[in-house]
Amino acid sequence: MKRLITLTINGKEYEVAVPPNLTLLDLLRYELGLTGTKKGCDVGDCGACTVIMDGKPVNSCLVLAVQADGRDILTIEGVETEEGLHPIQQAFVEKGAVQCGFCTPGMILSAKSLLERNPRPTEEEIRTALSGNLCRCTGYQKIVEAVKDASEKLS
Amino acid sequence: MTQYTVINKRAPRLDAPDKSTGRAKYVDDMTLPGMLFGALLQSPLAHARILNIDVSKAKRLPGVKAVVTAEDAGLIKYGVSPARYDETLFCHEKVRYVGDEIAAVAAVDLETALEAISLIKVDYEELPAVFTPEEAMAQGAPVIHEEYPGNVCAEVHQEFGDVEAAFQDCDLIRTDRFVNKRQDAAFLEPNGCIADYDRFGNLTLYTSTQVPHYVQRTVAMVLKLPVGRVRVIKPYVGGGFGPKAAANPMELAACLLSKKIGRPVKMNYSREQVFLFSRARHQFVHTLTTGVKKDGTIMALKNECYLEGGAYASFGIATVYYAGSLLAAPYRLANMKYDGYRVYTNKPACGAQRGHGGVAARAAWEQQLDAIAEELGMDPIEFRLKNVMSAGDITCNDLNMSSFGMKDCIEAVKKGSGWSEKKGKMPKGKGIGMACGFFVSGAGYPIYRSDTYHATVTVKLSEDGGTATVYTGAAEIGQGSDTTMALIAAEALGVRYEDVRVASGDTEYGIDLGAYSSRTTLMTGHATKEAAESVKRQVLQVLGDRLKVPVDQMDIKNGYIVFKGETPDFSSIRTAYIKEHRGWTDNPDEEPLTFREAARLAYLEKGTIVGTGKYKPGKLGGKYKGAAVGTSPAYGCSAQVAEVSVDMETGKVSVERVTDAHDCGFAINRTSVEGQMEGSVSMGLGEALLEEVKFDEKGNILNANLAEYKIPTCLDMPNVKSLIVESNEPNGPFGAKEVGEGAIMPTIPAILNAVYDAIGVRINELPLTPERVYMAIRRKKGKQ
Amino acid sequence: MLLPKFDYHEPLSVDEACQIMSDLGEKAKPLAGGTDLIVNMKKKILSPEHLVALSRIEDLRKIELLNGSVRIGACVTAAELAESQEIKRGLGALGQGAGILGSPLIRNLATVAGNLVSARPAADLPPPLMAYGAEVVLKSRRGERTLPLETFFQGPGQTLLEIDEILTEIIIQRPPESAGAGYIKLGTRKALEISLVNVAAYVALDSSGTTIEAARVVLGAVAPTPLRSPSAEKLLIGEKVDPSLFEKAGQAAAKDSRPIDDFRGSAQYRRDMVAVLTRRALNMALEQARRA
Repeated sequence: MKRLITLTINGKEYEVAVPPNLTLLDLLRYELGLTGTKKGCDVGDCGACTVIMDGKPVNSCLVLAVQADGRDILTIEGVETEEGLHPIQQAFVEKGAVQCGFCTPGMILSAKSLLERNPRPTEEEIRTALSGNLCRCTGYQKIVEAVKDASEKLS
Repeated sequence: MTQYTVINKRAPRLDAPDKSTGRAKYVDDMTLPGMLFGALLQSPLAHARILNIDVSKAKRLPGVKAVVTAEDAGLIKYGVSPARYDETLFCHEKVRYVGDEIAAVAAVDLETALEAISLIKVDYEELPAVFTPEEAMAQGAPVIHEEYPGNVCAEVHQEFGDVEAAFQDCDLIRTDRFVNKRQDAAFLEPNGCIADYDRFGNLTLYTSTQVPHYVQRTVAMVLKLPVGRVRVIKPYVGGGFGPKAAANPMELAACLLSKKIGRPVKMNYSREQVFLFSRARHQFVHTLTTGVKKDGTIMALKNECYLEGGAYASFGIATVYYAGSLLAAPYRLANMKYDGYRVYTNKPACGAQRGHGGVAARAAWEQQLDAIAEELGMDPIEFRLKNVMSAGDITCNDLNMSSFGMKDCIEAVKKGSGWSEKKGKMPKGKGIGMACGFFVSGAGYPIYRSDTYHATVTVKLSEDGGTATVYTGAAEIGQGSDTTMALIAAEALGVRYEDVRVASGDTEYGIDLGAYSSRTTLMTGHATKEAAESVKRQVLQVLGDRLKVPVDQMDIKNGYIVFKGETPDFSSIRTAYIKEHRGWTDNPDEEPLTFREAARLAYLEKGTIVGTGKYKPGKLGGKYKGAAVGTSPAYGCSAQVAEVSVDMETGKVSVERVTDAHDCGFAINRTSVEGQMEGSVSMGLGEALLEEVKFDEKGNILNANLAEYKIPTCLDMPNVKSLIVESNEPNGPFGAKEVGEGAIMPTIPAILNAVYDAIGVRINELPLTPERVYMAIRRKKGKQ
Repeated sequence: MLLPKFDYHEPLSVDEACQIMSDLGEKAKPLAGGTDLIVNMKKKILSPEHLVALSRIEDLRKIELLNGSVRIGACVTAAELAESQEIKRGLGALGQGAGILGSPLIRNLATVAGNLVSARPAADLPPPLMAYGAEVVLKSRRGERTLPLETFFQGPGQTLLEIDEILTEIIIQRPPESAGAGYIKLGTRKALEISLVNVAAYVALDSSGTTIEAARVVLGAVAPTPLRSPSAEKLLIGEKVDPSLFEKAGQAAAKDSRPIDDFRGSAQYRRDMVAVLTRRALNMALEQARRA
């Protein structure tokens, strides 16, 4: 039986009818067309599906859409500002932190959540904050550099 | 030295803004009207005879549009190397590993497709299975493929020089056995595809692949379609590293289903299915015997290797050759003997992965060389420098090192790591180690025997002259080839990077063998450069005719025409351009003449300005059997120093620092070169310390997920000091050659040698898990 | 991967949740963070007909101090535990376990009760909780009972939780000032890791600060359930602190452990590591106790 849920995604309110066995990830990707949130493993091991729910980064593949009822969700599509790329996105572009790009949305959201809690993190804090987001291309170094760079620009 | 305006700097990637905002489309992000969803039935048994397949219940399930088996697909054999086509789209008679494909379903949604799969009834007669080369090669072992009794998929026997004779002259001969473990490439994007067969008989396949061209040919062959009716489009791809370098059964099944139904069919591998498909690095068991003189001269190498191949050949023939040929450098070596065996087992097929065929061999040998240096009382760096090849050297197996900055790399990491201050002076539990490596800059020959071009590229100017578009079949899979081609085209044409667009990864755009064997910068780069130069010549010819200036007196730089002599009066060209662009706000209004104006003039004279470029290497390599594998127009090389810390009580290894120097000939984009170096270290570190695909006694994978198959996290990776070495490769565009795969070569042995330095005992088996290191330390203590 | 079909219930109070569990019995499973249950359902290891989500019950989301005890609501997440000042003060080993569980993303979903009820032998929270002598509160329509956590685990995935019961709360008596505890986990990588072995140790010193008055040593991933090491504890209690004592306690703990060989590691290695980690955890505990 479908249930009607209301949630805010990237500042916009959605009212959708969802079956209980639909994950938030599949709701975003396949029902709402927000395909920037990626599916890399579907069981919480890779972090490609990271979204920020009520201020906290989570694996959206482990959250039921019905559990997201009433919550505030930020996906990668909501990170850009009116002036264009968010400083973290800009830093990812400039520092070469993007290769295949599949981990990038999740990385950026984990980084954004970190910088909101801790505007001037140490390298160790950055690495810890990103440790649930796997990347197979970059060796993480340029991602860490991008987050450092963004933290300097933001603060 | 040539002054470049675009290349050799730090360019932001073309695709980075789209990838960092979620706009970039990967195949599973796409939806086509009327799209159906497909699913595969895969074998639960490692080896069994198929007695019967009953699809009747599945077909009757509402929402199911088609169910296909070998009966529908036919029995056309395909694979990677035509000499070993040993797969059919679906199993008939037998299944050969847990995961072997038996049937596929297309339905209105994934749920229905999966339910239909569960309704297919297969009767099996289980057969005895073999899981290791020893089991598979034993007398009376069950045969996996009738055509290959004894289960040897391929064997290689080569000797260059005279190894036994050379051993007679050696002062020290050492034999070591080394084992790596079966890997998974663990790219973040699981394979996926959408096949769309239209009413006119045209098949379009959108797929997450490294090789649109090879996929196109395989699909055409297996489905009996003209190549011209099959178009393969590669959207953005979330990493490949090897296993996406050939057609997979899911792509073929989706095409077959779409052809049968006449609607688009989407299919995805789950993460578990990625592991089941596998096609990543083999397990290699190397036994190496190396002989040296007292002064450190390497005299001879005997290499025996067994590869556990899995149920099908995949890339295996190339792999077994590479495992021999890739030890012929970077040290002068006159005598080399190789005996390699790739053996079928009832496990998923292994294939290619970054550093194809050479990574385990390199790890084994560089560790052995370190041990030899120690026995000789030589510093490992001095020992290597004594033997290192230089540009112009040709290996005993006829590989030509046309440029070779190996010595520069070694010296760069020696200095960059502070080697001399650290080596031999670190406390117990801390260690430093180094290793070298080299790799092909593009396979010298295509996978199928052919005189085909390896890349054809078209550069087309927009009719206003403002934008150049590069059309290439090359596969951007994350390595940055689109950006590299844009930079090469901009430099060759003389325009700005931002004036170039790249349309890539589509078989309609040209021939390109794809993203494998670290080939794209050199090969597609050549074709791109040639195409851009053709455009430049055409534009300058028209302009020269108009202005009465010889072409060789003009150049194009940074989007402007450069007159070497006096600037002629070009006001009529400008007036005409401005007249044509009345209302535009960005018309040129000062000196000098812009490329845009010249290009517009060229269009008005000649129609659309199109330049084409093409590339294939000349005849390469020797004449012996297998001489093709290992040939390349150029070779990248690298040296790395790793510093580790080992917890002597638990055996846990942390890599604290890596200093890496790679000779990429010439860096088209410095940021991308570093990115490849850092990524290579990360994959090498994973294989060295963490990664192993494990099986139970029935051939089921125990860790087919990213929780238990452990790739490095952000916390496991040290910072890498990347030092770019440039040797100006004569066969490369602007002197460029590879970095993507070669950069992984020294990582594992550098870590092995550092761990030895820290704990005083050699470990000849990967990965260096805490347990393996702890046990080694304990054994050593026991001996003392 | 698709989830099997199920009905979804979202009670707003513990009583309501208990009523639903009582009505549905075996067909229902409580859903907390989902990091274990949802994965098992995707892998078709479990397919309950009903899920009873506890996440909207405010009472289950609190950490409260009450008469010298700390009461942790079932749905407090690992991240909240790791960051909580109440936990950092005096229950540091629990914070350490919570702060290293899974990944930052997992920690934002995974709950303390989920980590107990799933009863994985290698779980991160049971050892520190047992080291602090935690109790669990189980509620159902039939009533409420409080059990020592160490009696709760029965085997991998097996606990004393009845089918209609919900684990609502964890109660820890605040340790004395002179006590300290430590938690160590050994895995192969530094995040997203399942322990090969983990150990939590607790010591309380006497007023002179030299003699051990109370000790608990808890071993994880070396038996079907998290295990206390009676031999190590016996060896410690009443003794004066010195380095060889912890060494001996480590060896005693290794003897008490009952590890198995599996694809993650051998029994021999695990047993040896129990000795090393026990000593290290005891040193952490001692350092903390002395700091007070």
